[in-house]
Amino acid sequence: MTGPRERHQPYEELISASLAGDLTADERRRLDSHLDGCQACRATLAAFSDQRRIMGGLRHVAPPRDLGARVRTGIEHGRFASLPWWRRPPVLVAGVGGGLAAVAGALLAIVLLGNPSPPVGEATPTPLATSLASITPSPSASFPSGPTPVPASATPLASPSEPVATPTPAPASPEPDVYLAHTGPFDNRALTVRDGETGEGVAEVDTPPGPPVAAELSPDGQWIAYITRVGDKGTHEVRATRIGEAVASDDPDGPPPIDSPIEVGETITLGESQSNDPFLERLFWASPRGGYLAYTLADVDSGETDVWLFEPSTGEARRLTDTGSAYAGSWIPDGGAGSSRLWVSAASQQPVSYLLELQDDAGGTGEPSDPAEIATATAEGVFQPLLSPNGRFAIYWNGAMDRAGDAWQFASGAQPYLAEHRAESDQAGFTGERPVFSDLTVGREAFTSASITWGPDSDAYAVWDVRWTGTPQSGGGEDPYPDERRVYFGHATDPRRLTRFHAIDRGDIPEASSVVDVKVSPTGEHLVITAARPVGGTLEAPSADLLLIERNTGTEEDQVFEIRSADDGFWWGPAAFDGE
Amino acid sequence: MALSGPAAWKSSTVSRPAASDHEAEFARLFEEYSAPIYNYVLRMVADADRAADITQDTFIKAYRKLDTVTEHRSTRSWLYRIATNTAIDDMRRRRMVTPMGDDQPAFANRPDHRPGPEAEVMAATLDERVQRALLTLRPNHRQCLLLSDLDDMSAQQIGEVMGLSYAAVRTLLCRARGEMRRALAAEGFAR
Repeated sequence: MTGPRERHQPYEELISASLAGDLTADERRRLDSHLDGCQACRATLAAFSDQRRIMGGLRHVAPPRDLGARVRTGIEHGRFASLPWWRRPPVLVAGVGGGLAAVAGALLAIVLLGNPSPPVGEATPTPLATSLASITPSPSASFPSGPTPVPASATPLASPSEPVATPTPAPASPEPDVYLAHTGPFDNRALTVRDGETGEGVAEVDTPPGPPVAAELSPDGQWIAYITRVGDKGTHEVRATRIGEAVASDDPDGPPPIDSPIEVGETITLGESQSNDPFLERLFWASPRGGYLAYTLADVDSGETDVWLFEPSTGEARRLTDTGSAYAGSWIPDGGAGSSRLWVSAASQQPVSYLLELQDDAGGTGEPSDPAEIATATAEGVFQPLLSPNGRFAIYWNGAMDRAGDAWQFASGAQPYLAEHRAESDQAGFTGERPVFSDLTVGREAFTSASITWGPDSDAYAVWDVRWTGTPQSGGGEDPYPDERRVYFGHATDPRRLTRFHAIDRGDIPEASSVVDVKVSPTGEHLVITAARPVGGTLEAPSADLLLIERNTGTEEDQVFEIRSADDGFWWGPAAFDGE
Repeated sequence: MALSGPAAWKSSTVSRPAASDHEAEFARLFEEYSAPIYNYVLRMVADADRAADITQDTFIKAYRKLDTVTEHRSTRSWLYRIATNTAIDDMRRRRMVTPMGDDQPAFANRPDHRPGPEAEVMAATLDERVQRALLTLRPNHRQCLLLSDLDDMSAQQIGEVMGLSYAAVRTLLCRARGEMRRALAAEGFAR
């Protein structure tokens, strides 16, 4: 049965459109005919007309007198006005007139002459092939070009008898699709997105408050989301920059591309959060389309954590949860038709994860809620499940949590587990759990956190920044284990899982540097690592190397290539892959 | 109504013709649109200082991208789109995407030094109430309504600004009017 509201609704749209003359002749006839016999719609027409008259009569306010000068100054200095308060100069430059305008004109002339200068303090990017330098002596400075060897430890996923119907695809490139660059003088750094192959700029971002420490490309390649530190405040900002246009799928039956009101090259800030917690520094794009970005923000005052969603289609972000203890987990790839499914975890003494289903046509609406009340599935003892890109495997945390100050953290018996992930339409969950580290005894001494990432092949994964309470289980005379300076690299199909022997070579990372970010390349055998160098003083900006490591086993050393070196004092990385 | 004069752009003198063209075109845009865009942004964020910053950034971005404007997209829609995105970014940065009901219209409280009879004072009061009602709207509803009723844009033009289809704009605008109707009623406006 059609209710009164539904009966009038189509005519209300016509009434609304009629005010600006946006009706066709046929629509005008239909509306007039309806209005003749509908008192309610006549009242709506009168109300909407009044409203338009009131709006049109709003007082017109003159802009500030110095607006023109401020724009000119901003152009000359390449600086925007709407900076966060902590980055604003103490005195707002205003009233600077024509003298500097000539400088701007001169700069403009240089640009128009086709001889653009690189940003101040930054070297012109050089082609990757010539910028590489080997840290470990190697016979060649170029990337390996032959087929990627199948890891000896990996169990083939396909049956040996399975017919091979397609030609062997070209070997995947180990190079990242893009990486971030934080360059320039220490007090005026610029953030740019660089093409992973050429090093050329893809997009320029407003000067961020600090270096980027995490980055993820959307599956459709339109967006890069990233996290930047905010000075010494102990907080970080989550941002997203649109770096590509929506491109229709080659598949005529495929879903349409996701367009956005945000223009290519534009950056939006998605929120500020307390920092220094690996569980917060995670960005989850929904796959395969990239319709949502899920992330966690910890309130800078209270420390309460909630999950937020950014929707490129609307260009808006909204809070998904309201419990103050929720953390984002992975999306299930290719969720049900018209919906997307997201794992959300609740921190508590015994953590639990909830599967939430979002209707894709909801248009970004919905009030924040308690995930426990709207979950379609629940996984007890599971915290922040990270699904492999194909959704087959998951790595999640289990252990007892406790609240320390503002934040929840694992207090005892905690470690990451590898499991199979099931996601049928009517149920979802985890089976076959086993500890990721197979040679560690977890009890009173245990993990408190670690950073984890999957490779695009859904088999390779890496664990780094491991934080362990108590004494490392190294044994006499050996390196500490687990070692927070090492990266552990394994494969889900390797029955050994991770052991101390799965750490990359100690010499892969420059002495005294710390690993900030790790990405596994599509080859499944290479890692792209952002390694921060120690900061020498307050006037020295943070710097980081972006390294490509080809993992070798046995007695053969890893091969290390510099994608960009921090010898120039700049911060290179993190890198990102689009998953293809 | 475009206000010129105090905020007018002063075109610089450069010797090369290409630069002159660029400067002249930008000066024309600033002259024509700085005041309307400032007012649009002012109604979006309800803060004069922030509106000035956002307008400033809008024109800096426009200056940088002026050469990329294509013929199929109107310059006006393009400028408003930059302004809209910059305002959204600013609001999001300040965590006032939604709800916005507790955000006070700061600009309305600034002293108005122009000579004004009682009618002017009453108009300011009316202005405050409308602004309060606007601030209760979702940002995309507010944008849509302002572009339509303050800047007199068609659904087609609003679609260009907001990146929405013609049909989507009509639906959004109707919802915005319904929401604004309730908000105005809460402010004591009849109907």
